[in-house]
This record gives sequence, C-alpha cells and structure tokens, in this order.
Amino acid sequence: MQGVPLSWYLILSAILFALGVAGFLFRRSIITVFMSIELMLNAVNLSFVAFSYQFKQVDGHLFTFFVMVVAAAEAAVGLAIILTVFRNRATLNIDEINSLKY
Amino acid sequence: MNLFYTATDHFVLSPAIQLAFWGCAILLLDTWLIPDPRKRRWLVPIFVLPAIVLTAIALGKQHAYLVSEGAREISAFNGALTVDGFALFFNWVFLISTLIVSIVSYRYLEIEGEHHGEYYGLILLANCGMFFLATGTDLVTLFVGLELMALCFYVMVGFLRGERRSNEAALKYLILGAFSSALLVYGFSLFYGMAGATKLSVIVKAMQGRDPWDPVLFLAMATTSVGLLFKISAAPFHMWAPDAYEGAPTTTTAYLSVASKAASIAFLLRIFLGPLDVARPAWEPLLAGVAILTMTVGNFAAITQTNVKRLLAYSSISHAGYMLLGLIAGNDTGLKGIAVYVLVYTFMNLGAFLVVIALRRQNIIGEDVADLAGLAKRHPGYALLMLVFLLSLAGIPPTAGFLGKYYIFLSLVETGHYVLAVIGTLYVAVAIYYYFRIVRSMYLDEAAADTAPLASTVGLRFAVGVSGLLTLCIGIYPEPFLRLAHTSLLK
Amino acid sequence: MSFLGWFLLTPLAAFLLLLLLPREQEKTIRVAALALSLAIFGLSLGLLAGEPRETDLAWIPELNIRYHVAVDGLSIWLILLTTLLTPISILISWKYIDRRVKEFHAFLLLLEFGVLGVFAAMDLFLFYVYWEVGLVPMYFLIGIWGHDRRIYAAVKFFLYTMAASVLMLASIIYVYQRAGTFDYPAILAMLASGKLTFTSLEQTLLFLAFFVAFAVKVPLFPLHTWLPDAHVEAPTAGSVMLASVLLKLGTYGILRFCLPMFPTAARENAGWIAVLAIVGIVYGALVAMVQPNVKKLVAYSSVSHLGFVILGIFSFNQQGFDGAVYQMLNHGVSTGALFMLVGYLYERRHSLEIQDYGGVSTPAPWLSTVFLITTLASIGLPTLNNFVGEFLVLQGAAQADFRWAVFAATGVILSACYMLWMYQRTFYGETPEKVTHQMTDLNGREWAAILPLLALMVWMGTAAETFLPRISAANRLILQQTTVNVPFNVQTPAPRPDVAAKEIADAR
Repeated sequence: MQGVPLSWYLILSAILFALGVAGFLFRRSIITVFMSIELMLNAVNLSFVAFSYQFKQVDGHLFTFFVMVVAAAEAAVGLAIILTVFRNRATLNIDEINSLKY
Repeated sequence: MNLFYTATDHFVLSPAIQLAFWGCAILLLDTWLIPDPRKRRWLVPIFVLPAIVLTAIALGKQHAYLVSEGAREISAFNGALTVDGFALFFNWVFLISTLIVSIVSYRYLEIEGEHHGEYYGLILLANCGMFFLATGTDLVTLFVGLELMALCFYVMVGFLRGERRSNEAALKYLILGAFSSALLVYGFSLFYGMAGATKLSVIVKAMQGRDPWDPVLFLAMATTSVGLLFKISAAPFHMWAPDAYEGAPTTTTAYLSVASKAASIAFLLRIFLGPLDVARPAWEPLLAGVAILTMTVGNFAAITQTNVKRLLAYSSISHAGYMLLGLIAGNDTGLKGIAVYVLVYTFMNLGAFLVVIALRRQNIIGEDVADLAGLAKRHPGYALLMLVFLLSLAGIPPTAGFLGKYYIFLSLVETGHYVLAVIGTLYVAVAIYYYFRIVRSMYLDEAAADTAPLASTVGLRFAVGVSGLLTLCIGIYPEPFLRLAHTSLLK
Repeated sequence: MSFLGWFLLTPLAAFLLLLLLPREQEKTIRVAALALSLAIFGLSLGLLAGEPRETDLAWIPELNIRYHVAVDGLSIWLILLTTLLTPISILISWKYIDRRVKEFHAFLLLLEFGVLGVFAAMDLFLFYVYWEVGLVPMYFLIGIWGHDRRIYAAVKFFLYTMAASVLMLASIIYVYQRAGTFDYPAILAMLASGKLTFTSLEQTLLFLAFFVAFAVKVPLFPLHTWLPDAHVEAPTAGSVMLASVLLKLGTYGILRFCLPMFPTAARENAGWIAVLAIVGIVYGALVAMVQPNVKKLVAYSSVSHLGFVILGIFSFNQQGFDGAVYQMLNHGVSTGALFMLVGYLYERRHSLEIQDYGGVSTPAPWLSTVFLITTLASIGLPTLNNFVGEFLVLQGAAQADFRWAVFAATGVILSACYMLWMYQRTFYGETPEKVTHQMTDLNGREWAAILPLLALMVWMGTAAETFLPRISAANRLILQQTTVNVPFNVQTPAPRPDVAAKEIADAR
C-alpha cells in the first residue's frame, strides 16, 4: 500500500499555518485571534509528526508533546489576561483596545 | 547513552533545578503555606536570596569545572544541554539581573498595591527559562526555555491588574509573542525535516553543503528569524516593545529589557551561528537591512517621546540593532563585541530603569520626562547616576556604553562593512538628542513646585550605585571585563 | 609614570576633591577651586623645564590601547594657556555665579581635564575619549548658568560637535584596522617607512572625516553657526573657556593629526579650504560689524581670526604654520580678555547690547584703558601679540598664493573697523538716558584676572622669541611629515634654542 506522500502532509500543514496567520491578522475578536494561534501551533504539530513518521523516529512526536504543553500553558495564561482585559473594558474587540498610543 | 539521568546531567542542570525549585517553592508558600498575609509580605521575598545564592554556587562550580579540566564544554542529556563559556557568561548576566530586579521589586510593588509573592516566583522561573535558552543546544530545549521565559513575562507584564495600560500591554505582548513563537516553531519543524534530528550539532552537520538559497532552508530561515527578531524587538517586529515597556510595572520593564533581550540574543546567536551559518550569504544582507531599519525606527521614534519608559523602550530597540550589527560582522571581534555589549547594556539599562523606579512614589507615577525636572537639585546622587547611565546608553566615552559600541564598530570595519559602521556612528549623534532631553530635564529645568521626596530603600540605592559604578568602571578600566567576554567566545 | 602623566591627572583629582566639599560652603568651594587651579598652573610651568615629558602605559591591552601622552612645542603652550585661563575663569566668576557654585567649579575643572588630555594624547583612541570628555561639561556650563536661550545654544553646540566627531571615530577605527595600532608616533613611523599606505580614495575620505570633525570646532565657515549662539548664551567664564581653549582643539587637531597622516589629501584640498578660511575671515568681519550684541560681535570676530589660523595651516610652509600656532595662542589671550571685559561690563549694567552703553570711559577710565589695549591687540597693532601671528600667517599665505594674502589682509582692515567702532560706541559718546546702574571702575579681583592677559599681550607681541622657537621646532617636524616621500625622524625632541632661533630669524 502506498501511503500518503510526505509532501501532502507538509502542504496541508502549510495551508493550515497560512490560515492561522490570516486569522491572526484579520480577525477582530481576541478569542478568535487566540484560536488562530492555536491553529498555527497545531499545523506545526502536524508537520512534526509527518517528518517524524518519515524518519521513523520518535523525536518529532516528542516535540509535538512539548508544543501541545506549551500551547496549553499559553492558552491558560492568555485567557487569564483576556479575562482581566475584559473585566476592565467590557470589550473583546481588538481595535478598541488601543489606549497605548504610538 | 543508556542511563536515564547521569551525574553530568545533574551537574549541568543544577542551576535550573535550583531556580525551578525555589520558584515553585515561593509559589507554594505564597498560595498555601503561609496563611497570614502580613507575614507573607516579607517572608516570601526572602526566599529569593537562597535561590540566587545556590544558583550562583552551581554556576560557579560549572565554571570551576571548565577551568580545571581545561574543557571547552560540558555536554548533557545526549547533547541537549551544553555548558560552555558562552552559556556561563549569559547565565551570569541573567542571574545578576534577577538579583537586582528582585531587590528593588519589594518597595515598588508595595506602592503599586500589587505586592504578591508570586512575582518573585515568576522572576525565578523566567530565569530558569533563560537558563535553558543559554545552555540549550537542541531545538526542543530552546523552545521550551523560550516559552517558559515568555509565559512568565506575559504574566509579569500584566501584573498590575487594575491598570488598563498593564492589561493592554500584556495582551499585546502575549498575542504577538504567541504568534512569533508559532512562526519560530514552524521554522524548527522545517529544520527537523531537513536534518532528521532536533540536536543542533546534528542539524549543523546536515546543513553542510546546502545551497544558501535553497527554498526550504530559506523558508526555515525566514520563519525562524521572525520569531527570533521579535524577541529582541528588532524592526519591523518591534511593535510590542513600546507598549509592553510602558504598560508593565517598571521592575518588569527593567527585567524584560535586560534579561529577556540578553536571553533572546543568546538564542539568536545559537541559531544563526549554528544551523543557519551555511546560509550566511542569504541572511547577511537581510539582517543588515533589518539592523538599519531597527536603528532608524528606534532612534527616530524615541525623539518624540515624552514618557521615559517608552523612550527607553525605543532606545532598547535601537540597541538591539547594534547587537545585530555585531552578528552581521560575524568575526571573533563581532561576537566578543556582542558579549561586551550585552554586559554593559545590562548595567546601563538596568540603572536607567532603576532610577525611574525610584521616582515612583505615592500618587506620583514619575514616568514622564517632565517628572524628572530639577532632579539634579533635589537628588543630586540619582541625577548624577542617571547622567552616567544616559551617557553610557548614548555611547559617550569614557563610559561602558562607548566600549560596547566601539567593539561593534571595530568588528564592522574589520570585516569590511564600512557603510554599516558609518551609519552606526551617525546614529550615535541622533541618539544623543533624546538622551540629552532627559539630561536637560534633570539638570537644566526647574523642579515643579511641590514634589514629594523620593523614598528610596537601601536596596534600591545599592542596586543603582552598583550599576553606576560598574558602568563607569567598565568604561575606564575594561580589561578584566573584556577578558571575561573573551572567554565566552563561541567555537 | 612620568611627571606629565601625573600632571594630566591633577585636574581630575581636583574635580573629585571639589565634589567632596559640601555645597553650602560657597566661599570655601571658590577658594579651593582657585587654589587648586593655580597649583595646576604652577605645575604646568614645570613642563617647560626639561624632560621627561612622555608617558606610555598600557591601558586596555586587549584592544591595543595605550595611555600614551606627550607634549612638544605645538602643545606645550596650549596646555599652559589652558591652565592659565582656568584660574582666571574662576576669578571672574566670583560674583557672577551665585547658584550651584559647587557644580560650576566642578564642571570647569572637568573641562580642563578633558582639554589638557586632548592636547597631550598620542594614542588615537585616547585622543577621541578626551575629545568627547570635554563636550559634556561645556554643555552644562552653557545650559545651567547661561542666559535666556541657553538650552537651545547648549543643545546646538553639543549636537553639532558630536555629530561631526562620530565620523572621526569611524575613521580612527579604520586607521587602526589598517595600521594595527592606535599609537600615533608608531603610525607616523609606518607611514614614513612605507609599511602603511593609504590609497587616494582612502586618504581623501579619512582626511575629510577628520577634517570635518575639527572644522566644526575651529569653527570654519560654513560650520560656524553654533558659535555665536553658544558664546552669547554662555556665562562669562564659559565664553572665556570656549573661545580661548575649546576653539583651539580644532586647529590643534588639524595640525597634529590631519596633516601628517593624510598629507596628499591635505595638500590637494588646501585650495578650497583656504578659500573657505578667507571667506570666514571676511564674512566674520562683515557680520561682526552689524551686530548690536557685543558678545555676538566678539564671537564673529573669533570666526574671523580663526580663519587666519586655517589659512596659515593650509599654506604649507614654515611661516604659515608658525603664524597659525602663534595666532592660536594670541587669539586665546586676546579674545579671552575681550570676553572677560565684556563680562565686567555685563556685571555692571546687566546688558549685552551696545546701545545700552556709552561714555563708559568717564566713570571707568582704567576699564576703558584696559579694553582699549585689548581691542588694539585684537586688531593686530604692532608690539601687541596678534600682529606677530597675523604677519607670519600673511607671509606664509603670500608664499602659497599671493591673492590669499591680499584677501586676508582686508580682514585685518575690517577687524580694525568693527572693533574700533564698537569701542567708540561703548566707551565714548553720550551715556544713554535710561541707564540706571552705576559704572564702577575695575576692582582688585578684576585687575588680578586681567593683568596676566595684558602682560601676555605685550610680552607675546614684543618678545616672541620666548615662545616661537619651540613652536617652530614642532612645526618643522610636522611640515616634514606633510612633505610626501621624505623620510624623517619621528621623535618629538626638545628644541635646541640656537637652531630654532636662527630659523625664526631667517623666517623674519
């Protein structure tokens, strides 16, 4: 049986990553921005797993674990900060959080 | 090879163990183990001291081992962590910054009304993350170290929960930081894919003979660079810095500007001089452009600032540009120059922020240039020290800052980057304009009518004094410090 | 470390000593500062006698930087001028500076330290460090104790000079990288022996980088715009130090570093530089004539006089060099005296506008006499100091290009015009009605401050042989160094009086 070629995984990973970047740049709600970042990290995970499978190694899988842990921690911290922002401002719209001027 | 945790592993890891242990201990103490809030106030911060002392001892032992064995490095965990001169140098820099920032945080956080013990825990854990950035020689360790440091900083920047600016600063820093980390990890995945391993030494071997313009390598370089350049606040990825520096509590700003930047520079050097070294023809012109853009943005944006923290943020950005110039030069002098620059930058930038911290007192935030007016009359000692720090930041002899810049320029001339050297020197003149705005406010302007006196603690005065003294000493008699930087040269 | 090495550190020691004094005891501070600076002057006289006058210590071995200082005929008199003017500046500020006294005197001594170092440094890196050290105290002197627009003037002065000198830093690094050392005599030796050569492009660029840095300090037209503001807004002592000492740093630098290191480029560019100098002479004089502010008038006269110095330097002959260096000293003495006297007038009537004065000679005859002598010295009356210098410069310029001498000579005439006219408006004529302050004559302290300068004006004008031999010896060496492809001896020896005097006699 042939199996899915490596390049397909990488292309998928790149597309997901690009979608994440696009979401980060163009969405206005902080939560959505956060989700985009998570999407980017998961795209990277996919990439690592694909390479790892290619090399028949465990290193890539390990890296994926670490990335997941980091993503989780980041989400925790990030949501806590978002909560604080929300409590002080009652808005989740990024464009309106701009009291720190240029 | 087959043992799970050898003695060498422990030896290399010991400073991180100390920092992580005491960091977590402080978190526990603060949350659960000491019920009485008044006792918590002074009891918890005390635990920072054993942490720093024990970490220093551990670092000292590593240094002694390297010297006695005549070895260049100690490798642990199958090459994932390496203690060499480079790592030791940066670890000492981090530790000293941690010490100074912890000393001055007490009073500052009291005034801000957010004195929680977890701040100290976060500082120690951030230092732990930085340790991994300096000693890591594996993509995984570097990434984890980076994220550990970054997460602690996200929280520390947003520590003033009631203040809008702090929230917003933390949010911006977090979002942009997470974004750049994601880009960085994507680059790492490409490296892994090209090399088949996450250990830097293996990746370097796998990169040998690759075409510098290879598209996959280029993509890897591009994405990794974005992440790295973001951390050192190089343009055009600098947007988070002014906001984060301004909104965060000033002790965090000081720590961020000094330690985080040093750690990021260490990280940058490991990557650019390791796996990416083969792609030098590709990234050298790009980095040159980035460095020039960084210095331009940093210097010109600082001219219009009235908030001292923001001004120092933009000045930090321009200093990052100078450090990049050392990397572009790339020869021994360039690397030594970066080491010297990081060392002097630590003291002079910390010193400047410490003076700003001293200005924070009841009902007065003291961040504006106008708040410094007449400081020379009210507190000549602080004004004089601030003058020394500003002269050093500007790069005027005989201060330490001049020596750092001199090394960078020397390395640029040695490697034939004359245009960059000229641009670098010209920006020194531009920078003087905004540094001297602060000097002018302190010395030449009259103080506002009813200003409260600065309530400076012994710790603050000690910290500022030491920083000032070192800034002058390194400028006037730099020989021992230069030899220290010399030993930290990379292979 | 030799006597010179210790001597150069004494102003720094004095500065630190002053910092230790409590700031409320103003009288003590003034007396201490005066005593210390007089002691430094006394020590500097010791430099006139015998050897050893060179110190060469390792400072930053890691970077090949040494603490190498030496004096020769070119720098010895400049050093003495500096150490003489510092106590004089302290004396004239006795009543003038009434706030932040400690900082004032501390900055003054720090300034002296920096300037003395510049004159003595023989290591390029050390030279640059001292050069920058001199900038910061001057910024404070103008910015804290100056007049209304002092901050603008101080910032302009600082930024202008700094911007020019950073390019010099880049050039110094480049020279270091080519030569492998910062040691100036070693570099000169390498240039002479051919071990180190610069291509034509390198020479031109390096020469320009150094020259621009020095030209701003001179100041050479058109880089002079910082000077009138700085002088007008500075306190009297600041003006005196600025005019007499700081302006000499530029011309000293050109003679010491620019010409010997880059002789070909210097000679090639001498044409337009001399033209700029002449333009400066004439322009400075013309603008001085229409100034209503007496300090600005003297400032522009400085631009004019220092144009002579540049002209003398770029004539590239012995008389030109001698005249230029002598004129540096003359200008220091006479313009310093002019600023002092203007300061005396200001202390009496608190105005710098000429129209607020008139008929001063009646209530203050001694003041007007002293002012007249200084004015005549500044114009270039024979038997007073400027005449010797200007004459030598014109002689040297005429040898290079006769037209230069003709145009420059008009500057002499013009200087007579504006100075005498200023004198007449201030000291003769009617006293304006709105005058409220009484004009008193010179008191003891003011006499003590001006007398040394008056004596010098006469001495330097009539007995130039005391000063010129050393200068000529040093200049002969520099001239040799600027003559391309001529091997020479790099040491800076003490002059042999008989040989040097004969040279001067020949030159005359």
